[in-house]
Amino acid sequence: MYPPKFGYVIPDSLDEALEFLEKNEDARPLAGGYSLIPMLKLRLIRPSYIVELRRLNDLHYIKSDDKTLYLGALATHNEIATDQKVKKSVPVVSAVSSVIADPQIRNMGTIGGELAQADPVTDHPASLLVTEAKVKIKSKGNERIVPFEGFQKDIYTTDLKTGELIVEVQVPILKGYTYSYKRMEDTAAVAVLLRKEGEVIKDVRIAASLIGPVGTRLREAEKVLMDSKGDSKSIEEASKKAMESVNPIPSPRASAEYKKKLVGVYTKRALLEAMGGKQ
Amino acid sequence: MKVIEQEQKAKVRYKINGQQYETEVEPRRLLVHVLRELGFTGVHIGCDTSHCGACTIIMDGKSVKSCTILGVEADGSEILTIEGLAQGEKLHPIQEAFWEKHGLQCGYCTPGMIMQSYWLLKNNPNPSEEEIKEGISGNLCRCTGYQNIIDAIKLAAERMKGQ
Repeated sequence: MYPPKFGYVIPDSLDEALEFLEKNEDARPLAGGYSLIPMLKLRLIRPSYIVELRRLNDLHYIKSDDKTLYLGALATHNEIATDQKVKKSVPVVSAVSSVIADPQIRNMGTIGGELAQADPVTDHPASLLVTEAKVKIKSKGNERIVPFEGFQKDIYTTDLKTGELIVEVQVPILKGYTYSYKRMEDTAAVAVLLRKEGEVIKDVRIAASLIGPVGTRLREAEKVLMDSKGDSKSIEEASKKAMESVNPIPSPRASAEYKKKLVGVYTKRALLEAMGGKQ
Repeated sequence: MKVIEQEQKAKVRYKINGQQYETEVEPRRLLVHVLRELGFTGVHIGCDTSHCGACTIIMDGKSVKSCTILGVEADGSEILTIEGLAQGEKLHPIQEAFWEKHGLQCGYCTPGMIMQSYWLLKNNPNPSEEEIKEGISGNLCRCTGYQNIIDAIKLAAERMKGQ
């Protein structure tokens, strides 16, 4: 299978890339390519130009300070999964990165590419929603930082406008939280981040992804657990609320109804594990 | 900035199995095709959709699926294919282990399996069975001969420890 014909642009700097993308509305940036190249092969997109990003080293880093983890848009899933800073400061992001697709895809796939592509079957949204991460976006002469929640609008649709690129993902470093991530490949996933004071749950964040169309925070379920002791009755009720509040799209492997049920089951399992203190 | 137009060919250079190669590619050409045309036909085309892993190679030290990388994109990179593993007549320990444990049936997935095993053992010289399974989760064997493949990787890990 060959991709359709396109021109290829190798920019020397981020500014050059941004300028070219702004002037050529149907040009597409290429990061890891493991979503974009299959789409080209299937003729789902026919861009005039592909703009190569992989050599732009100023987008390729993992940094942190006391409060925030900064993931350059070209940080690969495998780099994020194996980086000790990420493991220590935001383990839920590390854990989610380590199960994306397969090892070869994690070696090429980038966090910026995954978020910009907004494929419905992606893992990162769950961890970025529970940590309340932000996305830094650049265009020629402009920069803006937006919450990740709301950035992905629908399948393959984001807040990005012509000429804009994701340059960084900023993840707050939260201390004293435990987490859990439960998933079935390509089907459904739930992430939980939780902080207790003594016996009482003082903060809990639950998010679902992989079910499509985009990742979602499950706030109705969170409300049930806030300031509770996380007894089995409230966990049951939270799982039920989680199940009721999602609206999955069916896939060849699973009906919408089945995915809904999985969200309920995974919410319960993730809550139990996070309550058990995994961190 | 370099712009290669649709019908234009770009000059690319790769270091493949230790030797320099230079060729010309159209932007739409995939790395797997370019490598096969340069004679590295051990790089197989299986599903062509980045699922099966038959086209797995090592590019700049990482295992990747060459059916989902453009030839132009890989310009300047260092590539290792199955042809580069043996030293003359002497097979690589992973190849030997696949042979001894019969880690193949039809053999179509084998080059990709071996290259992925190579990367796995480089990063984790002493993998558990679970880690081996996860490590080759991006490689499909249509004959479903996974048990012997896993045994072969275990044996290779054992033998490579001493090296």
